[in-house]
Amino acid sequence: MGDKQSGVHAKYDYIHDQESSPSPLDAHHVEVRRSGAKPVAACFFAALVSAYAFFAFYSKEKPNILAVWGIPLGALLMMKLCWRTVKKESVLIMPTFGVQLETHYRSGRIIRRFVPMGKILKPVLQECVTPVTCYWCLSLLLRDEEQLMLVFKEIRSPLKMLIPIWKALCAAADEGGGLEECGPDG
Amino acid sequence: MADWRRHRILMVSDFFYPNFGGVESHIYYLSQCLLELGHKVVVMTHAYANRSGVRYMTGGLKVYYIPWKPFLMQNTLPTFYGTLPIIRNILIREKISLVHGHQAFSTLCHEALMHARTMGYKVVFTDHSLYGFADIGSIHMNKVLQFTLADVSQAICVSHTSKENTVLRSSLPPAKVFVIPNAVDTAMFTPAPERLKSDEIVIVVISRLVYRKGADLLVEVIPEVCRLFPQVRFIVGGDGPKRVRLEEMREKHSLQDRVEMLGAVPHARVRSVLISGHIFLNSSLTEAFCIAILEAASCGLLTVSTRVGGVPEVLPDDMVVLAEPDPVDMVRAIKKAIALLPRIDPQEMHARMKKLYDWRDVARRTEIVYDRALKCSNQNLLDRLSRYLSCGSWAGKLFCLVMIIDFLFWCLLKLLQPAADIEEVPDMVQFHHQDEEILMDDSQHQSSR
Repeated sequence: MGDKQSGVHAKYDYIHDQESSPSPLDAHHVEVRRSGAKPVAACFFAALVSAYAFFAFYSKEKPNILAVWGIPLGALLMMKLCWRTVKKESVLIMPTFGVQLETHYRSGRIIRRFVPMGKILKPVLQECVTPVTCYWCLSLLLRDEEQLMLVFKEIRSPLKMLIPIWKALCAAADEGGGLEECGPDG
Repeated sequence: MADWRRHRILMVSDFFYPNFGGVESHIYYLSQCLLELGHKVVVMTHAYANRSGVRYMTGGLKVYYIPWKPFLMQNTLPTFYGTLPIIRNILIREKISLVHGHQAFSTLCHEALMHARTMGYKVVFTDHSLYGFADIGSIHMNKVLQFTLADVSQAICVSHTSKENTVLRSSLPPAKVFVIPNAVDTAMFTPAPERLKSDEIVIVVISRLVYRKGADLLVEVIPEVCRLFPQVRFIVGGDGPKRVRLEEMREKHSLQDRVEMLGAVPHARVRSVLISGHIFLNSSLTEAFCIAILEAASCGLLTVSTRVGGVPEVLPDDMVVLAEPDPVDMVRAIKKAIALLPRIDPQEMHARMKKLYDWRDVARRTEIVYDRALKCSNQNLLDRLSRYLSCGSWAGKLFCLVMIIDFLFWCLLKLLQPAADIEEVPDMVQFHHQDEEILMDDSQHQSSR
């Protein structure tokens, strides 16, 4: 069963699944709403590059041999855009065990990263600044690691969606960290 | 109090912490005092080395270190329109009501003010330095300033001399320019607990050792003073290209035991160096204000300074001995200062400085400028373009073209990323207990005030 929250943002949907049996699993999903404009524009651009390369190569006036590279370039561009288009990113919290971070692409590819609960020092919400924009992101402070681990690698979801995920991660990390601190003697 | 209005200010400059200087201190202390008055202040500057992103300083002062690397003398590369997306983003997400730029030499400041005016925000500009009129660099800088200030809501200068200089350079109406002097943190700069012995007189110099700060004058003055007054020794703090000349002077006149060169002095150590001396020597060739002599006076030192720029406006006559920027006159002034030393009471001097200069007073006066700026009428692009046209026959048209292109870029940005897609940042309220930091909406904060 899920608790779907949509309409919070024009681009994303937030889904919260909480199962209590057979084992408790707290799943948070952020799905990218399908936009027709971007893939159409990308395909159009890739087709344009390929067409220009084809025309330049086969032109009777002055055939441009180097333009043949435009055809695979256009194909690569189309493949990259389709391959790299993200469908959703998920955070699966298994209390006392760990957190699994998943990135699902439209091509069907899924990248999974597992972080043991004892490894997580603290989940943090932080603002990232680039030369052209600024956005919120959710990261994990890991024990004995200098680098933060981004929870959502590809998606820049809004703060309102990140807050419940952050709270769930904090609760799980506090619980899991408490058990870890007990040590082998109890 | 009924008319009190909470401002949300964006301070913009290329010069901020972790650098230390007059402009940096001004922005920091002013921001802290404005936060105390209940306003929201956000600072925007460029990244320094590894310091990039968002940082929070004392009092919840939020600083955006934009990852645009400095390219020349700590200034961001001027791109005209490159900073428009990030500035628009920050203005919307922080719900800024007013943009306050600092320093004419800051490219980030000029770009931020230009973009803020395009987007309809009120802007205030503070000029911290004096500039010339004759050399190529000054001519170009003055033209840029004329462009920026053509449409500014209000301007602030740190001295009356600076106001005159700014008005002449930028053709700004004098009625738009306020004079609000800098101040000094008298809690940090306190005199030595015990008065120094007067059998040996120590003269302290702390400045960047560059031409503009009169390092060449020191090369002439120090040997002459050491010759005339065997009981005098110098402590020179600071670094720069002219340090070599001072080292050579020391070797040439065998003054190694009478002239101590400290090198670069961290800001946190400035007070400890000052209180080891009786007299503070400032040899600047140009100064809009000179915070250094305020710091020295707050530590109880008698000041000897060149009579340049806004320096005569800073200290009362009994706390400073002024001289022309000439070695002979400076030696005369030092001689006069040595004679005046027995009459100087450092604690009394510090107490007077506390009353004369206070950053809270600067913040209250700046608040009035902000209120005035926000009362200025809103103007559309066409009305504003007429102000730029008056900047010159060719320059005016060029400025208009720049502003039209900026406006078009802004319209394009609004299409690509509507303001509704930029989520606003909740205000962070700091309590005294460190763990009780919470997020508040602006409405909650208003009602609690």
